[in-house]
Amino acid sequence: MTSTLPKGALHHSTVLITGATGGIGRAVVARCVAQGATVLAAGRDEEALVALCKIAGKSVHPLVYDITNEQAVKDAFRDIQKKVSDGLIPPLYGLVNNAGVMMESPLSVTSMDKLKLQLNVNFLAPYQHMQYAARLMSRLRKGSIVNVVSMVSEQGSAGMSAYAASKAALTGATKSLAKELSPVGIRVNAVAPGFIETPLTDHYEADARKKVLQRAVMQRAGKPEEVADAIVYLLSSQSSYTTGHILPVDGMFTP
Amino acid sequence: MDNQQKLQQAFTVALGVQPDAVTDSLQYNTIPEWDSTAHMILIAELENVFDVMLDTDDIIDMSSVKQAKVILQKYDINFA
Repeated sequence: MTSTLPKGALHHSTVLITGATGGIGRAVVARCVAQGATVLAAGRDEEALVALCKIAGKSVHPLVYDITNEQAVKDAFRDIQKKVSDGLIPPLYGLVNNAGVMMESPLSVTSMDKLKLQLNVNFLAPYQHMQYAARLMSRLRKGSIVNVVSMVSEQGSAGMSAYAASKAALTGATKSLAKELSPVGIRVNAVAPGFIETPLTDHYEADARKKVLQRAVMQRAGKPEEVADAIVYLLSSQSSYTTGHILPVDGMFTP
Repeated sequence: MDNQQKLQQAFTVALGVQPDAVTDSLQYNTIPEWDSTAHMILIAELENVFDVMLDTDDIIDMSSVKQAKVILQKYDINFA
């Protein structure tokens, strides 16, 4: 599957992508590289990141850290700041808060640990990333942040209240920060994927998968590349008059 | 350019004020030019000029030019 965006939309730009070795993350890395970006691929699995960088090419740089570790996030951004000031990479223009965790669990059996983990990964970590990224972007008065939220947070889904709440928090931050950061030239948008073929949905058995897909008007699962195309569109100047928008990439899915 | 001059330049660039307006007594939100948007740009300028990354608590505390100097000293940026 090839992108339909014009080539070179992200030339002379650095884009930080969290969860880079996941299903959607890998597709976003590939699409950003194809558009000429320098990519900072963030994740915890060093081996997987190194392998990804080998495949994706020399414009991809691995950043190994845990996004829920506040000091590690600060150190990562300090590293980015130094690389930019030393002229090793172009200025940070894009941030894709893609890393996420989904735990299906009814209210009565959702432990506080599960709730906190999802809030940490799906909301607090992206929020801290936006804080630091906005500081680096504001100096140039331009930047684009794309958060990966979920159709579940838009519409709710039984057994997924903690996950939905964590993603809804990120949706709220997206809309608010679009207003707050517009004066410094930073756009903030989100994509809301539906059922996408990734390791996150691998565990669905055939019957369950069929039932889920029947709830999508398009009657099929989405591909990571289709989500990546929407993310790259929102990153690029192709969407220069769009901010505060939650773009569904879900085949018109009803959770 | 010494640190005092760098500091003054960062404030003039970020706030869009004349250099002589950048005095120790200048405080956040007391002039139209130093609002929350300019504060974010100011932080970015200070971080770039002095090659530091400030803690969020320090950004919250940076309520005046005088306070900016005190905070930057924590990062080994000294003012005569």
